[in-house]
Amino acid sequence: MSAGRRILLAEDDADLRLALKLSLEAAGYAVATAANAQEALALQRREPAEVLVTDIFMPEGDGFEAMDAFRREFPSTRIVVVSGGGQRGKGDYLAAARLAGVDATLQKPFEIEVLLAMLRRL
Amino acid sequence: MTLRSYLVGLTLATLLPVALFAGTVGYFLVQEQRETFRTGAEARTLAVLTAVDTELEASISTLNALATLAALDKDDLATFRDRARRILATQPQWVNVNLARPDGQQVMNLQVPAGAPLPNIGDLDGSFARLRQTGKPAVSDLAVGPVLKRWSFAVRVPVIRDGELRYVLSGGVKADSIAAVIKAQGLPGDWVGVIVDRNGRIVARNREPLASEGQMASQSLRDALARSGSGWFRGHTIEGTAVYTPYRRSEVSGWAFAMGIPASTVDGVVSRGFAFLGFGLAGAIAVAIALAYLVSRRIAAPIRSLASAAQAMGRGAAVAAPPDLAIGEVKTLALALAESARAIGERQELIEREKRALQAADRAKDEFLAMLSHELRNPLAALTAAAHVLKVSEPAGEASAKARGVIQRQTKHMARLIADLLDVGRVSTGKVGLARERMDLSEAVAGVAAEWRGSGRFDRHRLSLELASVWVDADRARIEQIAANLLDNAVKFTPAGRGIRVSVRADGDSAVLRVRDEGMGLQAEEGERIFELFMQGRHAEGGMGIGLALVKRLVELHGGTVAAESEGAGRGATFTVRLPAVAAPGAEAEPEPSLPGAARSVLLIEDNDDTRHMLEAALAAGGHSVRSARDAAGGLALAAQAPPDVALIDIGLPDMDGYELARRLRTARGCERLSMVAITGYGRPEDRQRAVEAGFAVHLTKPVTPERLRRALARLP
Repeated sequence: MSAGRRILLAEDDADLRLALKLSLEAAGYAVATAANAQEALALQRREPAEVLVTDIFMPEGDGFEAMDAFRREFPSTRIVVVSGGGQRGKGDYLAAARLAGVDATLQKPFEIEVLLAMLRRL
Repeated sequence: MTLRSYLVGLTLATLLPVALFAGTVGYFLVQEQRETFRTGAEARTLAVLTAVDTELEASISTLNALATLAALDKDDLATFRDRARRILATQPQWVNVNLARPDGQQVMNLQVPAGAPLPNIGDLDGSFARLRQTGKPAVSDLAVGPVLKRWSFAVRVPVIRDGELRYVLSGGVKADSIAAVIKAQGLPGDWVGVIVDRNGRIVARNREPLASEGQMASQSLRDALARSGSGWFRGHTIEGTAVYTPYRRSEVSGWAFAMGIPASTVDGVVSRGFAFLGFGLAGAIAVAIALAYLVSRRIAAPIRSLASAAQAMGRGAAVAAPPDLAIGEVKTLALALAESARAIGERQELIEREKRALQAADRAKDEFLAMLSHELRNPLAALTAAAHVLKVSEPAGEASAKARGVIQRQTKHMARLIADLLDVGRVSTGKVGLARERMDLSEAVAGVAAEWRGSGRFDRHRLSLELASVWVDADRARIEQIAANLLDNAVKFTPAGRGIRVSVRADGDSAVLRVRDEGMGLQAEEGERIFELFMQGRHAEGGMGIGLALVKRLVELHGGTVAAESEGAGRGATFTVRLPAVAAPGAEAEPEPSLPGAARSVLLIEDNDDTRHMLEAALAAGGHSVRSARDAAGGLALAAQAPPDVALIDIGLPDMDGYELARRLRTARGCERLSMVAITGYGRPEDRQRAVEAGFAVHLTKPVTPERLRRALARLP
């Protein structure tokens, strides 16, 4: 995927959402943002994006819900999952996401270049 | 060894000496009885013998009387014969009377007609010789008389005339006369009584008297008589019956009387005694063993059931005390077992509880670590992204400005997280000192709320503030921490679009801070537990579980209380903090300097570039003139060029520590009235103390916000 395409970003943390949006916009992408899965789905229905970048832990509709809904409704949309969750206690969420069949996963914090390289490869 | 064998062994061990003793005593008793029996039998023998002697002496007396007849004085044999015949008729036991010369030549025999030739009887047996020798009467041995042809014996008496033995008068006596004497003694039916003559020939016998008359006595009796005149021996009768025999020889006749007492009778006494003793002992042993068996069953059965109860206890099964315990010790054992079972049960339960508590703590720790990782990584991700924006964007552009905003807020957010993390441990161990000052609670809360609103953290909620001025004696930083944590909690658990109400007011002697949200509320069982460390609500979506714990401890450190109320799940929650209120400062309180404060010339010495740039910007924004250096040497040089009004000094400088720098600046030319502010990473009371001693007017703990800096500068003289 090349610059200039549309990305949908679902992230509950306002500052992270803003910083990622700015970074991606600086790389030339058109970015729509949502604070949870429902918002993301609503936005997608209005104006479909090619890639969904979603957090896992979000109140009112987490990343797994988003993945399920997008897989059903927008099977061609690529999904990148980012999470800060550790690999202890509640389990490895990124591994779970990979098993669920997402296109890429990224552990927070990450260098923007890594995310951009990932998006270019999709 | 079982209890039963012990008891049986004990019984036998006790009985055995008794049995031995009884056996010995019994043996002696039986011996004595036997001796008594023997003595009795011997006495009886003597009695029979005496009776026989008496019988013989009767004949002797009669013969003696005949011997004195005057007819013999003149050898008038015809007259004597006539008188003797008359006497014979009066003696039924006699069969004959004869008279012989001392050499044995008969001169008269009533069974032989007078005048007929008569045989010499002198050598018939030893009786003639004995009589001649002793001059006393003698009794002959048994013999079949030549005239009558039947067994008889003779009683002979001497006929003395002129001191000389002139004749020997003999009376032939029927042997069965002696048998009658024996019969008259009434011996027991199975006893044999026998009179034997000197030859050992049977004179009379109580059993089959006619058949045995004249027979030789048994060999054993004859042997015994050859040995001694009286005694006791075990032998056989002529019929071969085993008998004990007491015997005695008569002085009068030289005959002997012997009794054959069946051995079974004598031995019966002994064997009956021993049998009685044996049966008694055997009975006693049997009874004792039976008792031992019964007693052992009585003891062993409850012990066995207790043993199985103890085994069941080991497996953790319930223990039923065996009923009907008659033995005190066993009852005690049963009670002890029941007590142990109860104790084990309690301990098991305690272990289970502790295990559950440990598991819960472990789960809480795991969740805490997961949340910690999430909470720390999120701001780092935002910082990384913002740094990237700064790198690729026009510095003066809108994106860069937004990125700087992100960095500013996220660093602060992270600093607060780290401070909370570090504080929670120190607060719970009581290592946190409070820098108390009289302050307006509403103003502190308003400051935090304004800051949050500025960072967009309330964007998704309707925030309403209801603030009335109320004063407390508190550590400003800690109060801000309390407010921030309560707001954080409200934001976290309140769905977008719902309201959060914050109020500060006076209530009697208390200053009350109340944060009410319209979130998911609390479960009834959560109650006080939400203030526990690492405790996360059931619907925890984030947070480290330390915010509320920290709030509670900080409030308590200020002498206040915090409570959580909820009308139930989904109906929101209210957190109420009560702190002791103090009187508002009166007219003497210096008015807060209006923003911006008086412009000053500030010298900033800070080696961290980011911090220095931030502080420069903040100071410039406050209208102050700023000169800055990145080390102590640079700072001293700048101060020497022109003395500043205020020096802002980082304590941890690379070339010199801040305290030393402060002392040098104080003594520098033109710096006598210099006000100094310390910036440190350490907020301990001793750090503040040290700062004051070094001459600092104010001590600021990192991170220093523009607002705090503004306030600090405003307070300077």
